[in-house]
Amino acid sequence: MADFEREDGVTREELVQRVELMERLIAEGRQTTVRFGWIFLLWGLIDLVGVGWDELQPDFRWVWPITLSAGFVLQFIILALRRKGGYRCGGSMRGRSVAAVWRMMGLTVLLYVVAAIVQHKAGQISYIAAILMFVGMAHAISAVILRWWAQGLVAGVWLAGGIATFFVPRSYVLGVFIAEMCLGMVLFGLYAMWLERRNRSGIKGE
Amino acid sequence: MTNIEQHDGTTRDELVQRVALMEAMIAEGRQSTARYGWMFVLWGLTYFAAIAWTVYLPYTEWAWPVCIAACSAVFGIVRSRQPRVGGKIDNLRRHSLDAVWQVIGGGIILYLLAVIASGHGKEPGYLAAVLFFNGLANGVSARILRWWPQGVAAAIWWGCGTAMLFFTTRTEELALFLTATFCGMIVFGLYAMWLERGAAAGTVQAHA
Repeated sequence: MADFEREDGVTREELVQRVELMERLIAEGRQTTVRFGWIFLLWGLIDLVGVGWDELQPDFRWVWPITLSAGFVLQFIILALRRKGGYRCGGSMRGRSVAAVWRMMGLTVLLYVVAAIVQHKAGQISYIAAILMFVGMAHAISAVILRWWAQGLVAGVWLAGGIATFFVPRSYVLGVFIAEMCLGMVLFGLYAMWLERRNRSGIKGE
Repeated sequence: MTNIEQHDGTTRDELVQRVALMEAMIAEGRQSTARYGWMFVLWGLTYFAAIAWTVYLPYTEWAWPVCIAACSAVFGIVRSRQPRVGGKIDNLRRHSLDAVWQVIGGGIILYLLAVIASGHGKEPGYLAAVLFFNGLANGVSARILRWWPQGVAAAIWWGCGTAMLFFTTRTEELALFLTATFCGMIVFGLYAMWLERGAAAGTVQAHA
């Protein structure tokens, strides 16, 4: 049983090695997402600040441009500081695929949000639902690539929120948006940061 | 110079092998997308049919559900009859691309069904969102495969989606939607099919 030849000439040991390699690559990909858990937390808080400010000053049109710009500046500064501290993005293929998903999702949402704000269409239900769907899709793709059920659950929360936006009364839409930010961004970000801290303490312990 | 040890113990030959493997996997991924060029054409024609129905035929609320269901059926039949390419094609990049297209395809269907069921089909934001969803799928694929023609397709989808939020009459919306579908789906699909044919001809010549 230990090392017999299969019909296609692949031995059991080779199969075990391949499975181990795949598992290692998946773990590396998850590690990449976990390292960037703070980005989810940051954008969750930024969006909640934007919602709160918008509620306080509904006539001020610069709420979202200022909030989003501040988010990008903060992200840029924290990324630069972490790079100085020796943090690097994972170089595995899965890590690069996941990075591609999130970069393109960011670009898509940015284009969509800027165009909608300029044209004053940000209040449409289909617009709000689409933003929730964009984020949900990015989480779902990452979850499938990384085979990570926790992120799949978060994707489900985002997609369900996007669909629910169409059917709940208009006054509840803001509540759906805030719930998504709290559950799908802040909580997931904290979970990822907790995983990262646990992994790092595990490495130090070794 | 040929086989010196690097700082981490990796030799030059090993690095060359890794680069060659990565290039082979990228080429396989592109080949895989080119193999499915017909899907882009099929979905592009489906979008055209659904729009034509909403403009010229009655029962417009049924246009998208019926067209998507018919396209999905044709898609399933053709794909089940298409011979499987074995071996290395099932690589990590292919797995990532499958994830991108399956999730975004499913998401678009879910979104459209919710729009129709809730009666929000009059909002311009929903058609723009569909264009952005397609741009996202093409953009991620282009980034994973490092393939600029698909990046151009993504830019067309995003450009038309952005324009749709500025040009909001029914005629302008339809013109933008059809332009994006024609350039970003049908033309790109035909280009992918042409690439596949070229690759297949090359394989035949190599075997001969």
